[in-house]
Amino acid sequence: MLHTNKFLMIIGLIMALLVLVGCTREVVTEVVVTATPGPAGAGSTAEVTPTEAAPETSAPAVATAVPATPVPQQAGTDDVEYVYQIGISADLTTTNYWAYLGPDGTIWNLYVLGGEKPVLYTYSAQRFDWVPSLAADFPTALQEETVGGQTFWTTEVQLKEGVQWSDGTDVTAEDFAFTAHTASEMRLPGNWPSIVDPDYFDHAEALDPYRLKIFFKQKPGLARWQFGLAFMPIMSRAYWEPVVTAATLGGELTDQQKALFAHVPDNEPTAGGFGFQKWERGAFAEKTHNPRYFFRDTTVTEYTSGAYAEAKPGAYEFEAYGDAGGDKALEYTVGPYAESTIYSIYGSQDATVLALKKGDLDFMLNPLGLSSGLQKQLEGEDGLTVIENPSDGMRYLGFNFRKEPMNNQAFRQAVATLIDKEFITQTVLQGVAFPMYATVPEGNRAWYNPHVPQIGKDLTRGERIAQVVELLKGEGFTWETEPRVSEDGRFVEQRGEGLKMPNGQPVPAISILAPSPGYDPLRSTFAIWIERWLNEVGIPVHADLTGFNLIVEKVFDQQDFDMWILGWGLSLYPDYLENFFHSRHSDLEGHNPGGYNNPEFDKLADELLAETDVDAARELVFEMQAFLAEDLPYVPLFDTPLVEAYRSDRVEYPYTHSLGGLQNASGLTTLVQFK
Amino acid sequence: MTGYLAKRAGQMVLTLFLIVTLTFFLVQAQPGDYATFYALNPDLPADVRAQIKESFGLDKPLWQQYLVHMKNTFTGNFGVSFGHFPRPVLEVLAERLPRTAVLFLTATAVSFYIGFFLGKAIAWRRGGVLEYAATISGATLFTAFTPAFGLMMIWIFAFKLGWLPVGKFLDPLIWRGAEVSANHVFSYMLVTGAAFVAFAFLVLLFFRRSGRIGPAPLVGPVIGAAALAIPVAWAFSDIGFLALDILRHMILPIVTLTLISFAGTMLLTRNSMLETMREDYVMAARAKGLPEKVVRDRHAARNALLPVVTSLVYSLIFAIDGSVIIEGVFSWPGMGMTLLDAVRSEDLPLVMGSMVFIGLFSLLAHVIVDVLYVYLDPRIRYQ
Repeated sequence: MLHTNKFLMIIGLIMALLVLVGCTREVVTEVVVTATPGPAGAGSTAEVTPTEAAPETSAPAVATAVPATPVPQQAGTDDVEYVYQIGISADLTTTNYWAYLGPDGTIWNLYVLGGEKPVLYTYSAQRFDWVPSLAADFPTALQEETVGGQTFWTTEVQLKEGVQWSDGTDVTAEDFAFTAHTASEMRLPGNWPSIVDPDYFDHAEALDPYRLKIFFKQKPGLARWQFGLAFMPIMSRAYWEPVVTAATLGGELTDQQKALFAHVPDNEPTAGGFGFQKWERGAFAEKTHNPRYFFRDTTVTEYTSGAYAEAKPGAYEFEAYGDAGGDKALEYTVGPYAESTIYSIYGSQDATVLALKKGDLDFMLNPLGLSSGLQKQLEGEDGLTVIENPSDGMRYLGFNFRKEPMNNQAFRQAVATLIDKEFITQTVLQGVAFPMYATVPEGNRAWYNPHVPQIGKDLTRGERIAQVVELLKGEGFTWETEPRVSEDGRFVEQRGEGLKMPNGQPVPAISILAPSPGYDPLRSTFAIWIERWLNEVGIPVHADLTGFNLIVEKVFDQQDFDMWILGWGLSLYPDYLENFFHSRHSDLEGHNPGGYNNPEFDKLADELLAETDVDAARELVFEMQAFLAEDLPYVPLFDTPLVEAYRSDRVEYPYTHSLGGLQNASGLTTLVQFK
Repeated sequence: MTGYLAKRAGQMVLTLFLIVTLTFFLVQAQPGDYATFYALNPDLPADVRAQIKESFGLDKPLWQQYLVHMKNTFTGNFGVSFGHFPRPVLEVLAERLPRTAVLFLTATAVSFYIGFFLGKAIAWRRGGVLEYAATISGATLFTAFTPAFGLMMIWIFAFKLGWLPVGKFLDPLIWRGAEVSANHVFSYMLVTGAAFVAFAFLVLLFFRRSGRIGPAPLVGPVIGAAALAIPVAWAFSDIGFLALDILRHMILPIVTLTLISFAGTMLLTRNSMLETMREDYVMAARAKGLPEKVVRDRHAARNALLPVVTSLVYSLIFAIDGSVIIEGVFSWPGMGMTLLDAVRSEDLPLVMGSMVFIGLFSLLAHVIVDVLYVYLDPRIRYQ
């Protein structure tokens, strides 16, 4: 039994502990990281690559807005300190830029980290012209050169002078060469190989601190150079070289990569509008403005004539794409105007929307935008503005060319004819989606061909069925009972039965793999209607609504399917047409899982890869779209607009209409102004 | 008892082995793997995708992957998380645990206290207005659809009335200048809570052992003084305002959790009390002329405590698992969300680490409850 005195002693100790715990003054710092410079203006430097994302579900209706929270005052000054508050729905997974473009390539990392490193070239706002950023002008033309008995394709780039890292040192050609060599020599995974393609990039040399020479192993097309390596985020050599050296000292290549990715940046120099300040895991990340940001006060002007101009008083002027003058389509001056940008992490889109309505946030980032339910909630709210932009994506129906009758062009055209995309998008889905006919989205104006064949557009049901019967009969298909439409053309009076292929065999049971309604109600709706319309003419199709991962496994890993419905988020430069449809990508785990193999198309795709001239590439892309719209390895189905909302009573942007919305430019952090 | 504990330890190891095996194969049964994320990027050539698989060890045969994970589990090294590459799994779990522990342990304690108090009261006064009101409201809340109820609470108290924050566990505007991490504050809050509970327990034990239990006049004031000392001490510290911000963010989830779950404890206590009240010793206590409050609290309620304490211990242990729904609705990223995200993205090391962690605590909970039985009910003996 414990003695009374011992009890008193223990109680006393615990009391002391309680007080000590409360009175503690120990200071422990959470991960503090630094980042980044960005291009003049707002364009995100990272290309959006085709990916698939799970749609988020909508929320029950909620209430009206309350006044915005007061703008906090900077301590010790009378000046207002503007804090740009952005809501995101998931946490970062790293602050290491190598890792973010490697194994940690999440969209949320992109929102916070992306677009803040210097890049040679970037896209202009809204129009997506290819314009210099760190580069002073366009590069020299590619030329063949033999060095030490080896033949290279080379180009030279002059850099702007005076662009500095936040530690006061200049951003130089050495930084570019160091970054590209590190990615290449360490064979960094993730997105790095598509930026620094080891099949093309050989090495880079700094001819002087501001003149760069790049050596390619073979002639690089636009995708590899102008829209690839030229967009590479450049790291500070002074900061990263010791880290890279230490990482490469031991172990195998994967261990070296792991060591590099494991480094937590601390006071890493930035050259962008903001530098990384703080990451409170699970709660928020903060970036503070960089006083040495070179592009601050740069005025960017885009003219209706197509000309582009930017000027920084006393520093530089640049013009391209025609003579600057005439009507202006867009003009803005680069900031940043906020002292700080805070990315607040919420557990769901519903919670983020509530915080936006309450005034805790100025803007919210989400790759899928707002669902229609949330859009309706926010429209008309005081102090909030809802914007709608085209997105750079595509939902499609694909065919397995290894099986009959999917390998028959007439059959594919018959399927396309039967799908009434306008009916589903406008009547069934009430306008939340819009139909697509080309393999490049209409919103990507520079590369979209508006004159592709639009099979099945604006036909009545009767006309569709009549065309399908004619198409299939012309190809040798036969029916035991032909489908027949009522006299008014509104419904199928006689369903087709016993459809046989040209070889006399019955058309086998066909399955369409499509996402389940829980994952994506839009695509499952399309699948159900396609099943219905095809069954009406006697094509024995069954919509198999299942999990996304299962579809990916069956389609890409096993190639065990007939038809499938999925979607892609796309890049601006449409070299994905080569990735999706060239026969070289039809092996297991390739991106042409349908096995589409057309030598004529392959030739066009090869030409596109090798093309170095933008206008010639555009012609090729137009031709490829027209080709695909007729040959139909995919039937493009629809896409959805990207809906976003921001607090217009607190912030304003120089523009709000852009392909991919404001989230494509990570919320325009260097351009947003405050009221 | 020693032999019994040794036997239970052996059972625990075997059960853990089964948990790890089952978890591994369940996760593997899902279509695709973590590298599927990269398979959908057509800019990546096939050899690069193969390299990614290799770096995650996903290129190895299934049995080899299984042996690696089994070895990792029993050596305490869960490897690195795919989704937080290359952070070690234990580091990710250690980051999430304090947040979950502070929120859910507090909510569990509050919920049990209210549930036990109400259960005791409605069992003693059967048929009264309180019984009907508490039972109907408790059962209604108990069956409420948690996500909708959580959102409704946010809508009323955070959005409409503006009294409380819209989710999250801190306000970035307060924390942006803080020199300490939230986990640091959470850890201190946990230590404070644990120290206070230990202190209160020892005070009670002290008075009981010194023969002064009962209406001992000093018990309340001593514990109350400690309870007062805590906020005073925190107020004078550098991190008091940060803890206060966390507490402010805890109110809504705790109220929601309490409203949803107190009915379970209340009904359990009520049923247990009703059985106990029929016992002869309760009648004997009444026959002795003891006051009703003493009969209820010291004779009936104390003996009705056994199943409630069992339930409480389980709940406290399982509190560290967190709750996917509550954590999601209130933007409180803890263990529950971590496990869900890991399963969704097939982050196998993190799934395995989380499941082993939860499995271990569950097994420990069962042993603790078994041992506790012996102390709570002297009639129980383990061979």
